[in-house]
Amino acid sequence: MCGITFPTDENVLVGLEHADDAGVYKVTDDIALIQTVDFFTPIVDDPYWFGQIAAANALSDVYAMGGVPKTAMNLVAFPVKDMDLSILRQIIQGGADKMREAGVVLVGGHSVEDRELKYGLSVTGFIHPDRILTKKDLRAGDRLVLTKPLGTGIINTAIKGGLASADIIEKVTQLMATLNRDAAEAMSRYPVHGCTDITGFGLLGHMAEMVSGTPFGIRLMSRDIPILSEAVAYAGMGLVPAGAYKNREFRECMVDFDPSVDRLVQDILFDPQTSGGLLIGVQRDRAADLVAELRAKGIDDAAVIGEVTAQPGERIAVG
Amino acid sequence: MMKEIDCRGLACPAPVLQTKEALERDRPQIIKVVVDNEASKQNVARFMTSQNLQVSIEEKGSDFHIIGRVGDSPAAQATVDEQVEDAPRKIMVVVTNNCVGHGDDELGQKLMVSFLKTLKEMGRELWRLVFVNNGVKLTIRGSELLPIIQEHDQAGIHILVCGTCLTHFNLLDQKQVGETTNMLDIVTAMQLADKVITI
Repeated sequence: MCGITFPTDENVLVGLEHADDAGVYKVTDDIALIQTVDFFTPIVDDPYWFGQIAAANALSDVYAMGGVPKTAMNLVAFPVKDMDLSILRQIIQGGADKMREAGVVLVGGHSVEDRELKYGLSVTGFIHPDRILTKKDLRAGDRLVLTKPLGTGIINTAIKGGLASADIIEKVTQLMATLNRDAAEAMSRYPVHGCTDITGFGLLGHMAEMVSGTPFGIRLMSRDIPILSEAVAYAGMGLVPAGAYKNREFRECMVDFDPSVDRLVQDILFDPQTSGGLLIGVQRDRAADLVAELRAKGIDDAAVIGEVTAQPGERIAVG
Repeated sequence: MMKEIDCRGLACPAPVLQTKEALERDRPQIIKVVVDNEASKQNVARFMTSQNLQVSIEEKGSDFHIIGRVGDSPAAQATVDEQVEDAPRKIMVVVTNNCVGHGDDELGQKLMVSFLKTLKEMGRELWRLVFVNNGVKLTIRGSELLPIIQEHDQAGIHILVCGTCLTHFNLLDQKQVGETTNMLDIVTAMQLADKVITI
């Protein structure tokens, strides 16, 4: 929205100028407010699970900033004339159960009639103003930890095409509905210099945001990146969402792939994720401990996938 | 039998699903799928490849025609097998930089001259020479190595130069040798090659 000026004030700690996962507004020296909103059309057929996934996805932005979500409001667009209200009921139930799990209270909401069903949340959380984790504070030598496997966009495309197996639908549904709360809670005890959650821009798109405008680059070890193996098979069949190609087109100028990196794996690194994991930049000597703690909490896919390099700046090397 | 389907205006994964359905239902020898966007083009081509079709792509205005051919008739198979027996091994060399190794660039450039000259020793087995990233700079006007690469070209070695890389360095109009290519071609070539050497 270039050219439009928005009002701002000195208490805005994270605002539009450095677009991050969520906005942050300082209330006192000890408390800042985190606000975010996200909603989308169904990605799985089951309405109850869709409600859970949409809620987990919206809450994730607060976790990615290092904060704790406290209150939420429902956002609903529903085709009242064409769809049974019991469907909406199940969606709202899924969202409510996920909020309960996260310790978040629902304080309101708004619904409109729309031809296409949409659901999501507006979320408010708290954070200490000195403990905000933005995308831009990485330091050379930091290790990058990813907490969920990649490939949900490709698998959702296979689901849409009716080509996904029941096993993988269940697996990916659980994965997308999993809160990033436990991962965020674990990282709060480590020297973390930056964090984001992996969503629509794909792993490489979000990494590109983290290094652009900084003197640093990133070196990734593709073999260490957790990937849903079914996504590789579906990508080979051409079930790659258009968003993955767009992400690639937009950011491939910043990425150097070693020729040994399979084209299908490259696509997965650009695959748009729904309710993806956290990407955490942690001080080098504590990375192994963080991964061990994440795994002990049941986050089995957590892994060190790369490191922040002093140079070349704004480049991502994938080996 | 030739089958044609129009998938213009459809979003992924619909073109792939329609291609799949047409192949299963009609079992055509040749299938042509018309799409109007890059993502569908790549996905349909990829799907056809996964079904063991031989794929070619034609650009028609803002549309893409993806043509898949079934190559499994016994006669066709026999000729392919014979060719494979007679043909030399296919070695593909990927040049990712304008010098060899890291450390001293001046030395690296000398080594690159020597490397590309000496490649001739591979004889008929040298099949494709691919230039990517900084390597594309060897193929442009003023490159010291241009005459050597042109000799390879004349000797019938297929030279491929990465289009994305040329665009990135703003050198698209300065390339003097070889065919401008894309990642799909490079990956396909890697799959066909008996050996890929990256330098």
